[in-house]
Amino acid sequence: MIKLEAVTKVYKGEVLALQDASCDIQKGEFVFLVGQSGSGKSTFLRLLNKEEEPDSGQIYIAGKEIGSLSRWRVPHMRRQIGSIFQDFKLLPNKTVSQNVAFALEVIGRPKHVIVDQVPAILELVGLQEKTNRFPHELSGGEQQRVSIARAFVNRPLILLADEPTGNLDPQTSVEIMRLLERINEIGTTVVMATHDRGIVDTMRRRVIELVSGEIVRDQARGVYE
Amino acid sequence: MVMNFDYLIKETARNLRRNLTLTLASVLTVAVSLSLLGVALLLQKGVSNATDRWENGVEFIIWIQPDVSESQRGLIETDLQNSSGIETYRYVDQEEALREFNEDFFPENPEITQLVTVDVIPPSYRVVPAQLNAEAIEIIASSFETKPGVKKVVRATDEISKIETATDVIRWVVLGAGIILLATGLLLILNTIRMAMFARRREIEVMKLVGATNWFILIPFMLEGTFQGIVGASLGTASVYGANRAFEEWLSSDNVLNILQSFAVTSGDVWGIGFLLLAIGGLVGSVGSAIAAYRFLDV
Repeated sequence: MIKLEAVTKVYKGEVLALQDASCDIQKGEFVFLVGQSGSGKSTFLRLLNKEEEPDSGQIYIAGKEIGSLSRWRVPHMRRQIGSIFQDFKLLPNKTVSQNVAFALEVIGRPKHVIVDQVPAILELVGLQEKTNRFPHELSGGEQQRVSIARAFVNRPLILLADEPTGNLDPQTSVEIMRLLERINEIGTTVVMATHDRGIVDTMRRRVIELVSGEIVRDQARGVYE
Repeated sequence: MVMNFDYLIKETARNLRRNLTLTLASVLTVAVSLSLLGVALLLQKGVSNATDRWENGVEFIIWIQPDVSESQRGLIETDLQNSSGIETYRYVDQEEALREFNEDFFPENPEITQLVTVDVIPPSYRVVPAQLNAEAIEIIASSFETKPGVKKVVRATDEISKIETATDVIRWVVLGAGIILLATGLLLILNTIRMAMFARRREIEVMKLVGATNWFILIPFMLEGTFQGIVGASLGTASVYGANRAFEEWLSSDNVLNILQSFAVTSGDVWGIGFLLLAIGGLVGSVGSAIAAYRFLDV
């Protein structure tokens, strides 16, 4: 599903963000990306949805090499990839359901699909009671649920999560992780960058550890360190 | 590409509302610049209409002293006949000259025409030279200037070139101001769109993230710019139309020389200029916003 071959990324000619990284992630896997701040986790994720271009090496998404993809094709590739972030990136002037519907509207989905899909996904993330609230009226955990709903409403093959529990308390983090597990169980490949030792150690999934841009460990059913 | 029409209208309208003052500034700048441009074009059309009319007619006129003797007039006529540079000529006697004077200049002021009688109006030769270039006309015309019995030689080219010089200056000033203002309008539209995109940078970020196509993101902004350009152009066209109407009113009032009538432009010309202005406005708006959108979107 995701394959990196000798990928190197250097920022501004000197900061080495990723060095000769290779890995192969299968469909339906759940992968933790661990390492200190600045070790290249975010760059890893940003390369996967082509927000960044590698300086060398190849990246394959669902069997397709994305380096040669024309920039007019990039949006279509991104529809197969959902993304969630530490800071949620919700639109403050839209309600919960409008935020989720927005993701379908802007890729040209017809209205009946939107009317059908949005309540369903909000139920999946457990927010069916809060559809008309605005983001600032929600707790952090609830906001992250909205962002997961938005990332997943289009049923992407891959879900990229950049420190999704970074702003949440431990109890809420566990709830968010349960949700990501459920999404993973229905076949979605999940790649999650995290600092949260507790989560990694409890879940015992594949762990890829980065140190200064290098993959130093790639371990099935691994722990934080 | 599937694009929801409602979505487009909604987004464009919202952007326009949100940036109301800047939008107004852009629209008014485009309106003023395009009305200047339109006036310059009208002026050009008017002058070229007038010039056409003059050039197709008499190229120069030899005014004869009213008390000329038959022998002097005979000599002038012989010279006209023998000159190889002259295509045709026509003698306009005093009766005809008076009639022309009355009809052409003061048709509605009989009190003026009553003062003018046959014996004070000079007869004239209307001469069409073989070559219609200014230098050749000047040589022939000046050769008649000193002949006995000639009162004055008036070259149409003199009058035309005076009018042309005067209107040329006005036209260039107006055109220059119009173009500078149009460039200002373009920059204002560019900035308005940039502001609109900055105000919506979070939405744009999310749109890119979930895989909205670049066109989908760009088109509402381009529509916004095009709308500003076209509304500005409509105002500009309206004011050009108004200016032309005012000019026509003035022409048909009592105290205007008939000779100025030749500057009138047809309504077809006004429509043509109006469409041109609308096209320029739309183009400026869409190009300005496309540049802004494309640069700011970083696609």
